[in-house]
Amino acid sequence: MNLFALSQTQQAGGHIALAALLGVVGFFLLLPNPRGRFVPGGIAALIASAAVLVSWLVITFGKPVPDLVGTILFVFFSAGALVFGTVLVVQKNPARGAIAFAFVVLSTCGLFLLLAAPFLMAATIIIYAGAIIVTFLFVLMLSHAEGPSDENDRSREPLYGGFAGFAFVGLILFTLHQTSLGAKPDENTLVPQSHLLLPVITPEERKSLGEIATRLEEAEKLLDPDISTNTARNDCLEAFEKVYLPIKNHLTLVVGGAHVPDGVPPPNLSELETFGTFRNGSIRDRLVKLSVKPSGDGPALFREDEQARAIVKRSTIVRETQATTYKAVQRAMGENPDRDAAKAAVRQLRDEVLLLRGASDLPASNVRNLGLVLYSEHLLAIELAGTLLLVAVIGAIAIAHRKGVAK
Amino acid sequence: MITLWHFLAVAAALFGIGLVGFLTRRNLITMFLCAEMMLQAVAINFVAFARFHANLQGQVFVLFILAVAACEAGVALALFISLYRRRRSLDSTDWQELRELGVPATVDDEPLQRPVIEPEPTLTPAGARPVPQLTAEEAARV
Repeated sequence: MNLFALSQTQQAGGHIALAALLGVVGFFLLLPNPRGRFVPGGIAALIASAAVLVSWLVITFGKPVPDLVGTILFVFFSAGALVFGTVLVVQKNPARGAIAFAFVVLSTCGLFLLLAAPFLMAATIIIYAGAIIVTFLFVLMLSHAEGPSDENDRSREPLYGGFAGFAFVGLILFTLHQTSLGAKPDENTLVPQSHLLLPVITPEERKSLGEIATRLEEAEKLLDPDISTNTARNDCLEAFEKVYLPIKNHLTLVVGGAHVPDGVPPPNLSELETFGTFRNGSIRDRLVKLSVKPSGDGPALFREDEQARAIVKRSTIVRETQATTYKAVQRAMGENPDRDAAKAAVRQLRDEVLLLRGASDLPASNVRNLGLVLYSEHLLAIELAGTLLLVAVIGAIAIAHRKGVAK
Repeated sequence: MITLWHFLAVAAALFGIGLVGFLTRRNLITMFLCAEMMLQAVAINFVAFARFHANLQGQVFVLFILAVAACEAGVALALFISLYRRRRSLDSTDWQELRELGVPATVDDEPLQRPVIEPEPTLTPAGARPVPQLTAEEAARV
């Protein structure tokens, strides 16, 4: 039968099934066995399996050319994770298994860094460093040194276990292939998914957004003075207005909205949004322009790419928040002065600006953003996680506690 | 270009390897490490999706996974200690009386190849036991 006469789906299924079968054979030969194991054969089978899988990936998802450094790092870290994971599974000595697991964790952390998650990388390394050292202590404490033992030199049903695991992997990969059929890359067009690692917000925009957030914080402080009398209140509002308008214009350049011309104050500030010229904002401009494929036709990127769509959506949220902020401040400083409400309105705008700024940051600077999300949207979950840790500590002590008096 | 699919594929493979290890190995500590490896694979998935959708919810979820993994490690290691105290072994098959009703017991019929340890050579004693001859000076010192 001619292999090339098969449909794309059949080809993918064949590739994946072959890789999974070779993987099963490799693990079957390598897993600890009282009759001894056939190491060269097992390694050869695993390498063949990896080769089949990589060739399938290249055929299906395109040649990894454009971002050479990212590709090399990705291949390095993922190969490290998979190789050391295999070593952990087939290694007889649990202490060496723990070392292999340390390398698996390090490789995973590299992948986290490629995915713009520096905080998770640091947290994972710190937590698992402790976990691995404790595991070492346990191995040293609980294992018998002399001779082969039941727990290390026997496997439970290596053939069936291998089949279960690799059938799972094969099915997942096949499903991935099925769901990504529409995204078959063409050499000359932009694939929506290929933008995964592109910065969606330019450095200039990030810088402006950071400045805007700082200036909004300062503007918020202008609302602090005494507002008990009418004149004091009006002075306060006027000072705020003087600072707020340039900020708003600056923000408009990035996210869009009504641009108030310099030196021409609108007749009535509550009509701020209908006065002045409307601008699209640089984010929207760029993303919608980028969306047109080089050949000039094809759908807009932000309609196909989740990341671009999320950014455009978030910048719209900022624009809408900004449209209501001044009104909210004015209302709060009106008849029944409510300073907290006014400050809350400004702070909300600032938070939204910061979230937009961090939405697609590459490393290092989205740590602050993560903190913002953690403590604003997931506070209860954090408390629950802390409680869970406490309960686990108490449970561990209760389980390991030796009954009776120590002798 | 590396895309979301590549990360998902790597995570699936890592999860599968961990699954094989968890199902086949018998050492409790190795099984525990394999379970942790599966958690790592899931974390890669979450972070990749978070990056793809340009928000941080996935990363937040991974933080919770870390917390749960730490709890799991604490309780699992405490259990290992109390199990080890009863059977003096880390073999999970020692606890197979906890298996489901009607499932046959696992019997290890192949003997382990124990290394043959050569006994240390012994010599038959020959000759007379030496008697220390003390000189006058040494006797005086003793």
